[in-house]
Amino acid sequence: MGTLTIMVVVALFLAAIVLGGYNKNFLERVKGSTVWDWMTTVDHKKIGIMYFMSGIVFFLIGGLEAILIRLQLMVPANDLFVGDIYNQILTMHGTTMIFLAAMPLLFGLMNVIVPLQIGARDVAFPFLNSLGFWFFTAGGIILNLSWFFGGAPDAGWTSYVSLALNEYSPGPGVDYYVLGLQISGIGSLISGINFLATIINMRTPGMTLLRMPLFTWTTFVASALLLFAMPALTVGLLLLMFDRLFGANFFDYTMGGSSVLWEHLFWIFGHPEVYIVILPAFGILSEIISTFSKKRLFGYTSMVFATVLIGFLGFMVWVHHMFTVGLGPVSNSIFAVATMAIGVPTGIKVFNWLFTMWGGEIRFTTAMLWAVGFIPTFVVGGMTGVMLAVPPADFQYHDSYFVVAHFHYVLVGGTVFGIFAAAFYWWPKMFGKMLHEGLGKFQFWTFFIGFHLTFFPQHFLGLFGMPRRVFTYQANVGLESINMLSTIGVIGMTLGTLAFGINIYRSLFIDKTKAPADPWNGRTLEWAISSPPPEYNFAQLPLVRGYDALWVEKEAGKKELTPAEPLGSIHMPSSSYLPLVMAIGVFISGMGFIARGDYSMGIFGLIILGIAMFMRSFEVDHGYHIEPEEIEKDKGVDA
Amino acid sequence: MTEEQQNSSPQQEESHKPDSTMKHIVSFAAMIVLTVAAFYIVMEDVVEPNMILPLLLFFASIQVVLQLFTFMHLNQKGTAYYTIFIFTGVIIAVVSAVGIILM
Amino acid sequence: MASDAHTNTNHASNHLETATLEGKNKVLGFWLFLAAEVVLFACLFGTYLALKSQTMSGPTSMELFDLNLVIVATALLLTSSLTSVFAMSAMNQRKLKLMQFWLGVTVFLGLAFLILEIYEFVHYIHLGHTFMSSAFGSAFYALVGTHGAHVTFGIIWISSLMIQAQKRGINTDTAPKLFVSSLYWHFIDVVWVFIFSLVYLLGKVG
Repeated sequence: MGTLTIMVVVALFLAAIVLGGYNKNFLERVKGSTVWDWMTTVDHKKIGIMYFMSGIVFFLIGGLEAILIRLQLMVPANDLFVGDIYNQILTMHGTTMIFLAAMPLLFGLMNVIVPLQIGARDVAFPFLNSLGFWFFTAGGIILNLSWFFGGAPDAGWTSYVSLALNEYSPGPGVDYYVLGLQISGIGSLISGINFLATIINMRTPGMTLLRMPLFTWTTFVASALLLFAMPALTVGLLLLMFDRLFGANFFDYTMGGSSVLWEHLFWIFGHPEVYIVILPAFGILSEIISTFSKKRLFGYTSMVFATVLIGFLGFMVWVHHMFTVGLGPVSNSIFAVATMAIGVPTGIKVFNWLFTMWGGEIRFTTAMLWAVGFIPTFVVGGMTGVMLAVPPADFQYHDSYFVVAHFHYVLVGGTVFGIFAAAFYWWPKMFGKMLHEGLGKFQFWTFFIGFHLTFFPQHFLGLFGMPRRVFTYQANVGLESINMLSTIGVIGMTLGTLAFGINIYRSLFIDKTKAPADPWNGRTLEWAISSPPPEYNFAQLPLVRGYDALWVEKEAGKKELTPAEPLGSIHMPSSSYLPLVMAIGVFISGMGFIARGDYSMGIFGLIILGIAMFMRSFEVDHGYHIEPEEIEKDKGVDA
Repeated sequence: MTEEQQNSSPQQEESHKPDSTMKHIVSFAAMIVLTVAAFYIVMEDVVEPNMILPLLLFFASIQVVLQLFTFMHLNQKGTAYYTIFIFTGVIIAVVSAVGIILM
Repeated sequence: MASDAHTNTNHASNHLETATLEGKNKVLGFWLFLAAEVVLFACLFGTYLALKSQTMSGPTSMELFDLNLVIVATALLLTSSLTSVFAMSAMNQRKLKLMQFWLGVTVFLGLAFLILEIYEFVHYIHLGHTFMSSAFGSAFYALVGTHGAHVTFGIIWISSLMIQAQKRGINTDTAPKLFVSSLYWHFIDVVWVFIFSLVYLLGKVG
């Protein structure tokens, strides 16, 4: 109770300072500031940019952890990071890259681009969109605070029990994992629902389902996967929290619990999660290859079908992560067949990309380079995936570096390459500036070569018997030179990432030239409006008359889209500070539960959340309107 | 905008009431019957023990369908997306739960 | 207004809750949320059914469960589902008082259910069946407790919406909220159907 009292007093004190007559101008100044504007925004483009930027920050943190891992493994019997600290770096690398880098980077792109591609003025739930972002941020911060307060989680990104139980992971590390992921997971679920509702309800007239660009389609399917996969993680983390904090026995073998239960819950979530991060990359590829080949995407309908099929099959294969658990030949066989079946729709996609390029007017811009680099890299990852899907063979590969090489080929060669491609392709639409093509090509070549140098040898490390997650290896067993090679490759990826950083800095702070509305001769709706778009996106909602909506108009010799409505006053949602308050509430609550012992802080945070929810429910928010005169003025400026 | 719709709607709603209330009461009665049946087969030992689980699942499923399509209005127009997503959810839920229980 | 272009195209249903684009979004978004909840409860059911025989020499489900109590609880919740439907009919006829009456009955029945459940839990704890006593205990309280938490949240939610409806009346802003809360209440009832079938009744069979 002591902590609670102190917290309440401090909160009242702060409230008195902020609200009281201390300095009335202060409040006004805060409300007028840019920071406040961004923190309370419900504009999908600003939220998208915040997602993207925080994704980059976490990508750098995760990348640093990767460098440390490779430094430790550079030479045999190294003692740079031994035991616990290595486990922490390894766990945080995996967790950060999947949950805090790949997902927000993709969410950022989805947020900015999808509403533009379907001709919408905003997402279906602007408020929830902001809430999802702040929950994600709160969770990400909680996870990374673990480094400073009590040590990071160290049970692997899969956090298998019994290792993750109190008995074997006594510190607060795994608690940070459980609560941080729970909070950011709720944020992801909210975002998923938002994207689904946006794509279903907010499409502009004429934008039928089979006219939607592939990136929108893959976002749709990935969001559906989020919707159905996240609850399994929620339950898994909830049960693990009960076990660790409240003495429950779900996973404790001595009390009748089951450690296989965690594996099931985790992988029922975990496998769809892999598709959540790869499907949007497929969508990005389809957009870019079609644009820079100056051709309609080959086999559009089969692409859509393949996307949906991959999404559905993604839920039927989770046991292939558990072949060696001993579930028996029947379940292993069923899930092996289902896993191999996924190769079929994925193959459809690869061939469609190749056929799109076939006979096209190909322009090798940086975005296109990333896309072209994606295809062979991802095919290697897919091929080793089929190898791993054969249960008897998997008993050999399991938990070896072969698996590490496999999933880095799909997650870096797939997702990260896709994200870089998208960054170069949509950067002008997001920021109104261009990224430098020369620097981009330098980044591509260094990163591409470095990547293959790091991860291709790891296949052989695995085949030669090096287990994953182990912090060192012996000399003279044939692993030294391959490990050294693998570490040297990191230099290339580091150089590439640095070049990307310089490129971002240059485009945002040095380069003064504005990006044109349509720098790539684009085919979809987002290229029909200015870069960056005005806050209402489309002055008049466009009428879509075919697949590749903008290209249809260009073919018809038109400069602009056909409007679907007369110019009129536009309704906009008003910004709100409540999502931030709710996120602060869950943040305090999460930290309170991690601190253990006294749960008053945890409950205090939940009370903040509850109060903010009531305030939101009772608030009458009519938004505001942008009048036609202002829109005309904007148009004048652009022209 | 809000005012307009407020004024225009009352007369539209008249057709809504009587038959739908009847339908709700009938499906409520059906749910009660199904519930009683479920309790009856367990408490009174009237069926083979290995038939109890299938019967319980059968009764429960009918109740779910009744809830969804009468109480939650999935029988109306414009609910295709709701239906698709709920039933996809049910399929994934069944696969996951059966996976957890059996393995 | 921005939303009108969308609204007019789909006016086949004369329902207040989906009269505006915002309302339509809300109802759709809530159905999506319910689809996620289906998977969430499936995982909890799977966990319970996988662990239910692990009683660790504590009382078994056969010894614990009292079906008479469950019959009463089921009757309460099923009836509240019906009264919630009546409230929605009243809402679409714009009869505020009638709606408030049925919502009040719904909340009352929900509260009665909740009290019964708390009584049941206290009773079990006295018999040595606790959250920490065994994997069976943990799984039982996690599943039934999560359902109970949903009921609690539903009661608070519907009550606060009753206050809003009293203050602002039934309009295109409050109607979607009320409708969505009633969907939630029916969903809770659906989950309970599976709890009494698969937890209590199946628990009595063994």
